[in-house]
Amino acid sequence: MKKRRIPLAGVAALGVSTLLLSGCSGATGSSDGGDVTLDFWSWAPNTQELVDVWNDENPDIQVKYTDAGGGKDSSAKLLTASRAGNAPDLAAVEYTTLPSLIVADVPLDITELVTDAKDAYTEGTWEQVTFDGHIFGMPQDVGPMSFLYRSDKLAEWGIPVPTTWQEFADAAKAVRAADPNAYLASLPAGEFGFYAGAATQAGSKWWSIEDDTWTVGIADEESLAVADFFEKLVAEDLVNTDPLLTPEWNAKANSGQVLSWPSALWSPGVIEGVAPDTIGKWSMAPLPQWEAGEKAVAYQGGSSVIVTKNSDHPEEAAKFATWLNASEEGANLVLTVQNGYPAAISGQEDATSSEPPALMPQQADYYTLAAEISSDTIPVTWGPNVNVAESTFTDLLNKAIADGTPWRDAFIAVQDVVVKDMVKAGFTVSNK
Amino acid sequence: MSTSLATRPPVTGVRRQQPRRRRRRTIAPYVFLAPALVLFVVFMLVPILYAAYLSFQTYKLEGGGILGTRVQVFAGLENYIAVLTDPELGAGFGRLAVYGIISVPLTLGLALLFALLLDVQTVKAKRFSRIAIFIPYAVPGVVAALLWGFMYLPGTSPFSYLTKALGWGTIPFLDDPAIFGSIANIAVWGGVGFNMIIIYTALRGIPTEIYEAARIDGANEWQIALRIKVPLVVPALVLTGIFSLIGALQLYSEPMTLKPMTNEISQSWVPLMTIYKMAFITDDLPGAAALSVVLAVGTVLVSALVLWITNRKSTGAVS
Repeated sequence: MKKRRIPLAGVAALGVSTLLLSGCSGATGSSDGGDVTLDFWSWAPNTQELVDVWNDENPDIQVKYTDAGGGKDSSAKLLTASRAGNAPDLAAVEYTTLPSLIVADVPLDITELVTDAKDAYTEGTWEQVTFDGHIFGMPQDVGPMSFLYRSDKLAEWGIPVPTTWQEFADAAKAVRAADPNAYLASLPAGEFGFYAGAATQAGSKWWSIEDDTWTVGIADEESLAVADFFEKLVAEDLVNTDPLLTPEWNAKANSGQVLSWPSALWSPGVIEGVAPDTIGKWSMAPLPQWEAGEKAVAYQGGSSVIVTKNSDHPEEAAKFATWLNASEEGANLVLTVQNGYPAAISGQEDATSSEPPALMPQQADYYTLAAEISSDTIPVTWGPNVNVAESTFTDLLNKAIADGTPWRDAFIAVQDVVVKDMVKAGFTVSNK
Repeated sequence: MSTSLATRPPVTGVRRQQPRRRRRRTIAPYVFLAPALVLFVVFMLVPILYAAYLSFQTYKLEGGGILGTRVQVFAGLENYIAVLTDPELGAGFGRLAVYGIISVPLTLGLALLFALLLDVQTVKAKRFSRIAIFIPYAVPGVVAALLWGFMYLPGTSPFSYLTKALGWGTIPFLDDPAIFGSIANIAVWGGVGFNMIIIYTALRGIPTEIYEAARIDGANEWQIALRIKVPLVVPALVLTGIFSLIGALQLYSEPMTLKPMTNEISQSWVPLMTIYKMAFITDDLPGAAALSVVLAVGTVLVSALVLWITNRKSTGAVS
């Protein structure tokens, strides 16, 4: 019996080693000649064109771009690849997921590699990638929150553009009266980023850290007031909670049954894609405020480019990340080719002189307004388990909406789950 | 090796060669088995063992680093306790049960019905019907779910279009409780064809003499179907039943694809979705491994239970 096993084990070992070898050959590395090839994952539109510009200018540092799917898919893949030891050299990461990736030991501390990049950004933007003085990414685009609305319909019905959330509620009511099939907006539980932004705007801090101790504020007074406010709007059927960007929602956006999208500055590009029949009918305004006369808004979305710990060429990778995001050339390409709102100041300045987004050719002051909005943003600290918070928030708030139970109870339950998860992982949390 | 196969000597071969040949013979099966065995070991056994190992680990925060770094440490039964005491898991299995109660009998019933109909001598357009019923099985689950999703959404649904035109409003396909029927419908639509082919093949294997004997005894087609065909294809029914049951326990792609279209489907709607959530959304790979082990063991137990019950029944019927 023993003798028979030996060839079998040999064959098995051979098979395994062949597999391992073929696995290795798939990974990229540098040749000995000094030329370097970097792998880069992102999902922003037209990123390949930006990479091509770099590759033409830098024959010794070639970048290989892979579209890794949207923010959530991409970070899941990144985490898995990193654990397997073959993460790409560079990857785009949403600001919300950056802390959880830091805790999972994915991004490299690039503080020493990007010393000259700080001045390219505003303080608020730079803070999104700074943790206790250490830099973990280069901000690419930002999403200061804004209010995208059907200017044609609101004008037709004589509904003023809301500047406060109370006016938003009034406008929602007026829309229901003007067209029973239309809603001013849909604010489903899946829009974690929107609710987090609205709560931040109200003065809440969903996560904050001081002296290694975290405080979770998803169920603080401000957030619960926000929950009550939107619960009332939904209960009175002034806004609905249909999921966004479904064939259903897109059809309604096209046919004028969805009249606004409170979100962020990246929204025009999305609407242009899903509701092409409505070009020229939308305008952008600052997001409604909780108090009249206030101006500051939170961020929703936006991403940075990290260098991973798996990278064999962190210096070259940081160089590319800096060019792509912080240089004038890169930031301009982010604006003009990716159609994003650049994180770098130079890109935002370029924006003021460029044409408005294709969705609103009639709104000449779009980028002036955008610059004004992004000049007054509220810095946000995202926690190490935004992923847990987001999926729990969506599931529990959906349940509350379906069962007709108070939204504030859902917020409190989310807080509970988030705190427990952090404690289980070993964080010190002040309000457990 | 190939020469010994090609020139296999007759039985009356030279005696001296026999010991060598015997040894070759004992090695040969293993060589033939080797590719399958290697693939099984590398892609099944090793991952399963790794998953089992991982299910006893957890990620804990350690100092060093800015926010700290999560490292893998031994956790004992912590993951299993967390997974098994999560009320959402029970709710997920509950939803799975509702789905299974709708989909499994419906799939089997329709598959048997279609197979019996196709087996009736006088039925026309057999080949066409067989292919028409089988084709949905060739549609990938995600595509099928998307396709049906469009037909369920009130804004794009042809069914809701009709009911709206009749003044009855839209059909809430994607709301509770219709969602269970809607998802089961996708699975039934896709699964009937495959199961029908298995049952139909079993039916074709029944010797026609039995039917002739039955006809001579005065049985009509209906009686032949119920009294002869169905009892004789019970083994095929058991097989397809087990397949459908396992398929139901592995429900994933349909609700996952429909999820963005409705608020009704949570991220932990069925156990497999919970596993995905743990592994790829909340970064709890060890927890996901523990739940995977629980689900796998559960599947084996349920399948074994069904087999045992059916075996007992059939032996009971014989005696």
